[in-house]
Order: sequence, then structure tokens, then C-alpha cells
Amino acid sequence: MGGENFEIIAVAEDTEGEAVAGKFYDAAKATYTTLIDTQHTLSSLYGMVNVPTGVLIDEEGTVVRFDEGAYSRMYKAGALEFGSDEYLPIVKDWLINGADSPYVKPAGELSALVAKRTASEAKADAAFRLGSFFELRGDEERAKKYWQQAQQLHPESWNYHRQDWSYDPAEAGAKWIQKFRALDGKPYYEPLALPESSGGQN
Amino acid sequence: MTTVLYLSRTVEIESTLADPSDLWVTPDDLTRVNDFVLKPEGACLDDLCVPVNQEFDSDLVVTRGAIKWFSLTGFAALMGQEFVVDRDTDTWSFGSIPITRSSYIQQAVAPDFTLPDRDGNPISLKDFRGRKVMILSWASW
Repeated sequence: MGGENFEIIAVAEDTEGEAVAGKFYDAAKATYTTLIDTQHTLSSLYGMVNVPTGVLIDEEGTVVRFDEGAYSRMYKAGALEFGSDEYLPIVKDWLINGADSPYVKPAGELSALVAKRTASEAKADAAFRLGSFFELRGDEERAKKYWQQAQQLHPESWNYHRQDWSYDPAEAGAKWIQKFRALDGKPYYEPLALPESSGGQN
Repeated sequence: MTTVLYLSRTVEIESTLADPSDLWVTPDDLTRVNDFVLKPEGACLDDLCVPVNQEFDSDLVVTRGAIKWFSLTGFAALMGQEFVVDRDTDTWSFGSIPITRSSYIQQAVAPDFTLPDRDGNPISLKDFRGRKVMILSWASW
């Protein structure tokens, strides 16, 4: 995909930036726009709580879709399944049909997806940013303190947990599975909302 | 030295008004932090102006000698903006100002951002206006 009238902007939500994200861009031989976001600024601005999250924006700068879990395929880890193989067809349909695509969301529906930020979630965002600031300065004790505060204030943000766990790789997998299981039937990502005509199932 | 974090900005501030609980900065530093400009009609960002009485000392503005000081924490309280402070290092992290998110929440206007590419060149979302864009957040972790 990509072309004169379409741009893919990949944004790496990684405190360590190019040092950890660069090799993935290299391996993907990325020809699209590749950005580095050490402070998770994008997630903060758009209200994203996990990666990957896809946002489709039209020529006028209006958001027409917002999807957590914008994988191009399903992932399986034992009995656990996450991800989606339904996202790419959505993007392709929108590129061809634009505003007439059945996947385009009215602004009102989008606001329901992104508006859910309580005062405590907004404070979590400030705490996470403070932790990232200290992590980048090598002050791991303070980084830990404020990253943990962010996780307590907004337990549903996977970004806060997973970035923190990445500094303790030996335990990260076990912690992920524990938190995933704690969802207790709730989806890891909200299911992609597909219109009837596509024959897709939520 | 006081450090203020807001969105992707890290702003070092030379002089603040001593206060055990609130953070007072000069009008110039207010603008460096969040782009709001202190004008006679109030604290303004583009078309938005929040009325601020500057004739008398208040929770938002005090005058000491010839210098005006603006309270970032008083402004945060007024605007419903959250913050977290590390007092040992005098580092203040402010969350987004809710009213600045309303065009995104209500009209789905994509918030602009500027982030570095792999070579450190700043790239803004608005550079791509007139084209369709897919933003994809991802991470190595």
C-alpha cells in the first residue's frame, strides 16, 4: 500500500527510541514514514491504550476510524488469541471508496471510542510522562515510582504496563499472561466494528 | 531549576515565584509551556480566551514589583487539567488541557503532533494534509 495520495505513518512507542525500534524498521524495509515517540506522545494525544492501534485520517484531517488491535493477522499463544486479520481489508476499502466506504465512522461514533478519559486516567498520563522523563535521564528509581503510579491510576492501559515490564524481560511474559487472563472474558482489544455488508463477524 | 513537562515538551524554567504548593511562572514561560499567551483579555490560545483578572492579585495572576506571575497550577485547577509533581527534583508533569481536546472528541479533528523521524528530523501530521493517512502505533516491547 502507500502511494501519492496515501501515507502510512508508523510511530514507535518506545522509551529507548531508535536504539530498540530501529531494527524493526530495518527488518520491515520500511519505505513509509517511520517516527520515534519516546514519551508516548501519540498515545497520550489520541487516547490509545495498547499497540498496535490504527487511526485513519482523511484528506481534510478528520479521523474516520480508530481501532485498537490493528494487526494484519491473528496471533495465537497457546489457548490465548489476540489480534485481527480484518484490518487490512478495511483500509483497502477506504482507500478505494473514501467517504463512501462502509467502514467510515461518523464523528459521533468516534467520540464514544476516544472520549472515555476520566480525571484519574488523565492524571495517569501525566504520571507516565514523568516516569518516562526520569527513565531517559537514567533515574530508574523515580521512573519506577511514577510508572507504577500511572498503572495504578489507569490499570486498563496496556501501554503503561508493557513499557514498564520491558525493563524486566524475564518476568514480562508471565505478567502479560496474568493480566490477559484477568480480563476474564473481556476482549484484549475491542472487536473491530464491521458493517453488515462485509459479512464480517464481531 | 524547575522543569515542566507538557505533551511532548520539556521546558526548563529559570525563575519561579517561591511558593510551597503552587507553580508561578512569567507570562513568557507560560507560552513556552503550553502556547497560551497572557493578553489583557485573558490567557489565550488561538480563538480561545480564558478571562483572567490582572488588576488584582488572584489564584491565577499576582504582581510582585513590576513582574507578573502566572500560576500554572491555578490554571490547571480552573481548566480541569491534571498534573503530577516530583518535588525533590522540582519536575512538574501536566496532562492535556481538556478543552484543547474538544475538537478531537466532538468533531473528530485529528490532533496534530510533531515527532522525530529516525534521523531526528521533525515530522508533523499536518505535513500530510490533502492525503489520506494511516497512523499505526506499535512498539518493540
